[in-house]
Amino acid sequence: MPSLQAFNGTYRRAAVGTSAALAAQGVLLAVLLPFRSHLSIATPALVFLVPVIIGVVVGGFWAGAVAAVVGFLFFDIFFLPPYGTLTVHAPANWLALLVYLIVVLVVTRVVTQLHAARDEARRREQDAGRLFELSQALIGDIGISELLDHIVTTVQTAFSPRWTALLLPAAALAAGGAGPDLRVAARAGQELTADELTSLTAGGGQIRSLGRDRGGSPSRVAVALVASNRPVGLLVLQEVQFARQDRALLGTFANQAALAVERAQLQEQVLRTRLLEEIDRWRGAMMGAVSHDLRTPLASVKAAVSSLRQDGTALSDVDRADLLELIELQSDRLARLVTNLLDMTRIESGALAVRPTLMPLDELVDESLAAVSGLVPRDRVHLDAASDLPLLEIDHVLVGQVLANLLENAARLSPDGSPIRIRARSIGTPAVPFVEISVADEGPGIAAEERERVFEMFSQNGGGARSGLGLAIAKAFVEAHGGTIWIDPAVTRGARVVFTVPALGNVAQHA
Amino acid sequence: MTKVLVVDDDAALVKALRIGLTARGDEVATAQSGTDGIAQVALFRPDLVILDLGLPDLDGLEVCRRIREFSDVPVIVLSAYGDERRKVEALDGGADDFITKPFGMAELEARLRVAVRHSAARTGNGTEASATLRVGDLEIDMVHHMATRNGLAIALTSREFELLAYLARYAGKVCTHHMILKDVWGPGYGAESNYVRVYTHRLRKKLHDDEGRLLRTVPGIGYQLVADAATPQQETQ
Repeated sequence: MPSLQAFNGTYRRAAVGTSAALAAQGVLLAVLLPFRSHLSIATPALVFLVPVIIGVVVGGFWAGAVAAVVGFLFFDIFFLPPYGTLTVHAPANWLALLVYLIVVLVVTRVVTQLHAARDEARRREQDAGRLFELSQALIGDIGISELLDHIVTTVQTAFSPRWTALLLPAAALAAGGAGPDLRVAARAGQELTADELTSLTAGGGQIRSLGRDRGGSPSRVAVALVASNRPVGLLVLQEVQFARQDRALLGTFANQAALAVERAQLQEQVLRTRLLEEIDRWRGAMMGAVSHDLRTPLASVKAAVSSLRQDGTALSDVDRADLLELIELQSDRLARLVTNLLDMTRIESGALAVRPTLMPLDELVDESLAAVSGLVPRDRVHLDAASDLPLLEIDHVLVGQVLANLLENAARLSPDGSPIRIRARSIGTPAVPFVEISVADEGPGIAAEERERVFEMFSQNGGGARSGLGLAIAKAFVEAHGGTIWIDPAVTRGARVVFTVPALGNVAQHA
Repeated sequence: MTKVLVVDDDAALVKALRIGLTARGDEVATAQSGTDGIAQVALFRPDLVILDLGLPDLDGLEVCRRIREFSDVPVIVLSAYGDERRKVEALDGGADDFITKPFGMAELEARLRVAVRHSAARTGNGTEASATLRVGDLEIDMVHHMATRNGLAIALTSREFELLAYLARYAGKVCTHHMILKDVWGPGYGAESNYVRVYTHRLRKKLHDDEGRLLRTVPGIGYQLVADAATPQQETQ
């Protein structure tokens, strides 16, 4: 079905050509008529070829044909005696008339063909150009949603329908399987009406019309996007007017688009698979680290308990008390680990909500020390804070946990009885006040190359000392407050972990 | 009294082991790092080393290798569950036995005693070791290639004899499949653990040890020839 636009174009061209030819014929007739007795019969025959050629070139075959008939009549009536009639007397004149007719017909035919060939060549060139523009959009390395947008906008610009929509199977959008339901994945041009949308995305069992709308207005064209013999999607153009060749062009473009969409989908699948593998690997590392951390206190609890239960061993009362104390401490350690695990789950699930309140530092330290009472003896902890330290504006549960983790690490990794120092000072600007808090121990310290890694969730340095969750959780909680946490690189003896948290600015100075 | 060196970085476990082992009459020294552990082996001259594989400074396997450079002291490796590969590496690297955390003191004590006794036997009959090996009621005459159990001769093929002699030479030590193949079958072997399975099965038949109490299977790891078949708990009483 040639579109109306193309149809109109053809008519208009024929009409223009015919008028031009007729006008030329009229003019030539008027010019030649006064001299007709002085002219040979060949002259008007040749002259009347001119309007015919004009007609063919401008208006195509039919304009040429009309011009030829009129030219024939003019020639016969006005230039072949007896003038004013169709009658021809001299046999030579018959011959002239016949030759004129043949020449006119041949010229018309040849010119028409040339014309058509030239049109065809020009159109092919245009098509190639448009296809190049269309496909240009498909070869870039872009994500699938951008690609879909690109396809519909390109089609919209190239064919100017009322709207263009690209439908993909709903399942492909969600996970990458095949499903019967189609969803509009991208569109361009005017908004789709609700009815149009329903007619496009009707589910299984519902009748979906892709044909003419009621009333037979020029309607919808749907092209299936097929790649590797598998339907990829459906490209729908609403109220589009097509020339015959546009159809082929759209088809070719649809094939390219299908390949591009398929490629993008495959790429997404590869990415998704890689992500899953990464998650699996991470989960494995996590399980390893968690079981290591849980097993360590369990090992000493079990060793202690089995000693206590064994008959025939000479445990002194002091030994007995020591073992019991050890069991209690290790149970506390296990409990702390479980708390950390729960905190980690909260961070992982994104359920971490910071509820800031105002709190002085010493109160926070007391709270943290209470949480690790068994593990960190109070007399080992020394607090050194400026007297004008502002109030902390923090979620005391979370930051208390941070401090508790740091204290527990410090106590576990440094010699018994060695001091653990908490220092705090005000930093930042009056507009953005922060407090810097640090926990320093006299343990073996942290090697320079480990200083970043210790904050990673489940970084395992060869099953070594500072593995596990404590620092990773501290980092997550501090960062949730907009602060930072790091290992002081300047410290040579022991380890010093520093973190910053928000504080209350001017109010503290008035207080 | 056994002199035991415990090398582990977890202070709590070290403390529990020290109290537990001391109460049994052992003399205990401790080290919290690999370097310290190696030094203690030289200074303290323990009868046995309990070595954790996860140490802060040196890898446990490395510690084991370095101890072997100058000492034959039996080494029992502490490992985590599921760490089979490192266990095998440690045994190949010279460790005598392993124990998986968490463990009870009775089990540790039993492993400890097996390792110490066999090590004493190995060094004790050093002069005649080349001629006759004794593991419990089993006697292996290296000169005449003959084995007897309770004085009764056992007819063995030469490969069976070599396997038995090898396990007897390392009595008390867990020998991995890899070690057995390499040393008994030859350097070209190492992965054909089913050969070992077939031969140990035949050996057990001939030794009348169908339950594998003398020739113990260590699942997934290898085999161990143990002098007395009695369970450790019974022994303690």
